[in-house]
Amino acid sequence: MNLLSHMGQFSILMARTFKKPEKMKIFYRQLMFEIDSLGIGSLGIIAIISFFMGAVITIQTASNIDSALIPAYTVGFTVRQSMILEFAPTIIALILAGKVGSNIASEIGTMRVSEQIDALEIMGINSASYLILPKITAAMLINPFLVIISMFIGMAGGYLVSWGTGMIPTSEYIYGLEYDFKVFSVYYAVIKTIFFAFIITAVPSYYGYFTKGGSLAVGAASTKAVVASSIIILIINYILTQLLLV
Amino acid sequence: MIKIENVSKAFNGEQILSNINITYERGKTNLIIGASGSGKSVLTKCTVGLIKPDSGKVFFDDREFTSLNTQERQEVRTEIGMLFQGNALFDSLTIEQNVMFPLQMHSSMNAEEMKERVDFCLKRVQLEGVNHKYPAEISGGMQKRVALARAIAMKPKYLFCDEPNSGLDPQTSIVIDQLISEITKENDMTTIIVTHDMNSVMEIGEKVIFIHKGKKWWEGDSETILTTDNQELSDFVFASSVMKRLARSSK
Repeated sequence: MNLLSHMGQFSILMARTFKKPEKMKIFYRQLMFEIDSLGIGSLGIIAIISFFMGAVITIQTASNIDSALIPAYTVGFTVRQSMILEFAPTIIALILAGKVGSNIASEIGTMRVSEQIDALEIMGINSASYLILPKITAAMLINPFLVIISMFIGMAGGYLVSWGTGMIPTSEYIYGLEYDFKVFSVYYAVIKTIFFAFIITAVPSYYGYFTKGGSLAVGAASTKAVVASSIIILIINYILTQLLLV
Repeated sequence: MIKIENVSKAFNGEQILSNINITYERGKTNLIIGASGSGKSVLTKCTVGLIKPDSGKVFFDDREFTSLNTQERQEVRTEIGMLFQGNALFDSLTIEQNVMFPLQMHSSMNAEEMKERVDFCLKRVQLEGVNHKYPAEISGGMQKRVALARAIAMKPKYLFCDEPNSGLDPQTSIVIDQLISEITKENDMTTIIVTHDMNSVMEIGEKVIFIHKGKKWWEGDSETILTTDNQELSDFVFASSVMKRLARSSK
C-alpha cells in the first residue's frame, strides 16, 4: 500500500472513530480504564527515565563548562530548558510510542484476527468508535500531566546530582532553574504533547484495526505501528517547533 | 426470511462467489455445506455485511440490507445474532459480561433485568456457575455455548452460525446442534449454519444448500441428500465411509 492509500484509509477510520459513543456510560467506563492503563500504568517508567535524564544532563553540562565566563547557574538553566522544551514532550512521547503503541496495535490486532471486531460489528456497534475513541481521548487527557510530572522529576534528578556530587552549588542550580523562565515554554510542551498523544494512540490503532492474517501479522502490525508513530512524532515535532517557536 | 439475489464476489481477480440466489426460511435451520475454500464463509460474511459483495442484493425480510446506510445497517444488525467459528468472546470480560454486552449496548433494561436475561440465556445453553469466569478459564465446548448465549441475548430474528462444531468432540457437537435447532424453533428465528460436518446435516438440516466452486450447486434437505445423483455433492457427502453405509441402508 502506498502512502496515499494509508492516509485515505486512516482518515476514513478516524471519521468512524470520532462519532458520538452509543452509550456514554460505557464510554466513560472505557475512558477511565484507558486512563489507568495508558497513563497511570506508564508513570513508573516515565519517572525512572526522567530522573536519570535530568541527572545525566546536569553532569554533562557541568563537566563541559570549563570557562570562568560561563556562570554555574547555566547548568540548572540547561536542565530546565532541555526537560521542558524537548525531553519531556518529545522523548517521553517516543518512549510511549514503543510501550503504549505496541500494546494498542497488538490488542486491537488480536481482536481483529480472532473476529472480536467482527462480533462488535454484527452486534450493531461502531467498533472503531468503541475501541479507539477511549484510547485517544484518554491519552490526550492524561499525557500532559505525565509530561509535567516528567519535567519536575527530571529537574529534581539534576538537583540531587548537584547536591550529591557538589559539581555546582545547589543554590546556583535553583537559580538556573528560575532564570529567564517563560511560561510559554510549558504551553509549547503541552501543545506538542496533545498532538503526540493523538499520534501514539491513533496510528497503532490504525495498524491493529487493519491487521490481516494470524499471530505473525499481529507482531508485524505492532512493529510497523511503533516505527510509523515514532517517525510521525519526529516530523510533527519539527513542524510544531517551527510554527510555535520561530 | 433472508433472501440473497445474484450475489457475486471476487478477491484479487479470483471469483469466490458467482451469482448466488438463496432464500433462507424462517423457523428453519438452513445449512450451507461445502468443502473448505468453496466460498461458504464469504457468502455468510456478504450476507451480514462484513464483506461488501461486488454485485447482488441481500434482503432481511422486506429490507434491502445492501442498500441501507450505516445507521440503518446497525439497526438491522441488532436483530442478528452470530456464533463465530472461533467464538470471538471478549477476553477481557467475564462470561456474564460477555453475554450482557449486547444488552448494555442496545437495550433499555435495568441492571436487574439484564442479569435475569443473562442467567436465562446461560441456563438455556446448559451453563451455570461460570458467570464470573473468563473465557480462557473454560473449555472450548463451554466457550461455544457462551458464544451461543451471547448470540441469543438480544432475542434476534436471524441467527448465523459459522462452523459451530469446529474443534469440538462429537458429543459436544451434537449438544450444540440440538441447542441451535431448539432455540430456532422456540424463537421462530431464521437460522443459517455454515458447516462441513455431515452429522449436523443429518441431525438438524431442514434445508441444505451445497456450495461448490463459489456457486450454488444443490438445494434440498437431509433426506434427499442421501439419494442425490449430483456427482459433486455425492463426492462431498460420501467422502466418509459412515455416510456410504448410511446411504446403502437408506436405499
